[in-house]
Amino acid sequence: MSQRTLPRLMQTPAVLLLLVWMLVPLGMTIFFSFIRYVLNNLRKPEWTTPNIDNWRGFGNYEYVLYKSKDFWFAVQNSVFIVGSIIVLTVALGLAIAVLINRSFPGRGMVRVLLISPFFVMPAVNAVLWINMLLDPVLGLNGLIVNGLNGVIDGLRDFPLLGNFFSFWPELQPISFRATQTSAYAVIVMVTWQWTPFAILIFMTSLQSEDQQQKEAAILDGASAWSQFVNLTIPHLARPIAIVIMIQAIFHLSLYAEIEIVSRGNGNKNLPYLIGEFASNNIGAASATGIFAVILANIVAIFLLRIIGKSLMD
Amino acid sequence: MVAVVNKSTFSKVFWPVLAWTVAIVFFFPIFWMVLTSFKTDADAVKPEYLIVFTPTLENYLNMIENYDFWRFAKNSVITSLFATAFTLFVGVPAAYAMAFNPSRHTKDILIWMLSTKMLPAAAVLYPMTFLTKNILGLFDTHFLIIIVLSLINLPIVIWMLFTYFKEIPKEIIEAGKMDGVSIWGEIKDIVLPLAWGGLASTALLCFIFCWNEAYWTVRLTTIDAATLSKLIEGNRAPEGLFFGRLSAVSTAAVGPIVVLGWFCQKQLVQGLTFGAVK
Repeated sequence: MSQRTLPRLMQTPAVLLLLVWMLVPLGMTIFFSFIRYVLNNLRKPEWTTPNIDNWRGFGNYEYVLYKSKDFWFAVQNSVFIVGSIIVLTVALGLAIAVLINRSFPGRGMVRVLLISPFFVMPAVNAVLWINMLLDPVLGLNGLIVNGLNGVIDGLRDFPLLGNFFSFWPELQPISFRATQTSAYAVIVMVTWQWTPFAILIFMTSLQSEDQQQKEAAILDGASAWSQFVNLTIPHLARPIAIVIMIQAIFHLSLYAEIEIVSRGNGNKNLPYLIGEFASNNIGAASATGIFAVILANIVAIFLLRIIGKSLMD
Repeated sequence: MVAVVNKSTFSKVFWPVLAWTVAIVFFFPIFWMVLTSFKTDADAVKPEYLIVFTPTLENYLNMIENYDFWRFAKNSVITSLFATAFTLFVGVPAAYAMAFNPSRHTKDILIWMLSTKMLPAAAVLYPMTFLTKNILGLFDTHFLIIIVLSLINLPIVIWMLFTYFKEIPKEIIEAGKMDGVSIWGEIKDIVLPLAWGGLASTALLCFIFCWNEAYWTVRLTTIDAATLSKLIEGNRAPEGLFFGRLSAVSTAAVGPIVVLGWFCQKQLVQGLTFGAVK
């Protein structure tokens, strides 16, 4: 066997497996997106099996774009949720990474505590937050608001001061089960889970920051803030870009959280909408799937370019 | 962070206290879940038992008796373990070949492998269901879940291994070749001992990802191969009558993994950024 055949043979299984994994289901999605294909239809039973005779051209795409009122809402909501999560995780991640990038007692323990949310199963994350923390009656949310109301009530009995507090309204806990607020709930729980990821990456990157440059800046009398803006942020530019894009790709396919938090209350993103279509209208589900692929690819191209650049050095 | 000459007492106390506060806030939900798992369902929603309560193991016993916990846990262990093993079995040779015998296509192959990871799973939801149910007859089998988990994680595993292998000095391999060591000998006696740490943490991380996977494991199973993700999703108790039980199941499902995760923080960075952040 020549010097080059064996290495090639060694990577063949991996390449073949991934090729099949990528091409077969995606090919089917593309095919289904161009035909009429529904799971239940008494009037047109021929539509219930995938068949090239049911060719519909771009009909499914048109249906999804123009006739289904949910599509644009789902796209908007996906972008809103992903965007909010990214802004919050990057801001929090930067602040916390800088905060713990110094030596202090118990730093190792602080790191362990901070990283833990990242390993929590998404399904548990969602169930835990929506029930035990955010529930307006029984969750911590409700308990805290109740407690505050109790305190205010108590203060009303005080002479003089009581007059002031009697003007206060009864506080109402926010319910996170409406369409809009459950999107906030999803943002909160995913931010909680992914901020550790941002912290970890920024922290790793901060450790390779040029200390001599920093010391020079201090000698020149640069303030902590201007050091952060002029030295640290440029140093972190690439990690920030990577954190943004990896999260964009992961969160565009957010599913378990949406499913658990907002089943049936109208808060949907693209994957959830696909799931809804897939209960009957496979053609529309497939067309929506292709849109999701396009959306993800827009981000992926940028990410892959950055990774490709750093690959060989 | 900064080698300041005169650190004031204020910043010596303030920043560490702030860091600890932030850490505790972040850990709080997990702490809360573990704490609640030792309360009865009735106590769990009563403010007066918020912190002080009589701990009970009732929820854990109940979970084993009524929720069929072991079956789901066993499925999670089986699928995650075998998927990790299979991923390494396919991934190690591939990463090895690409790191030590790169061709001019290696970079493109690596990038392409990664791009498979970026396809939104939902886009191929129905085809996967259709294929596994109607054509292959694999729906709700361990075999299917193992294969799917492997394929999902294969790109990440290959990337992580590739980064580790690349750090091994080529000279060592060359020296081995001069001595007439076979390629298997090369892997067994030279590369594996050197990359052992990297290999172990790659496996660990792969296992964690398999364990936490919640899209395919939920969609492609019903009973036989259903994992813990499915158990949690099926018992998402809309009203908080079952906080105690819910917490117990959740704690049992995430506890071991969170602890495992503590051991591979460093590798996580490389694994998740595909070597682009060092």
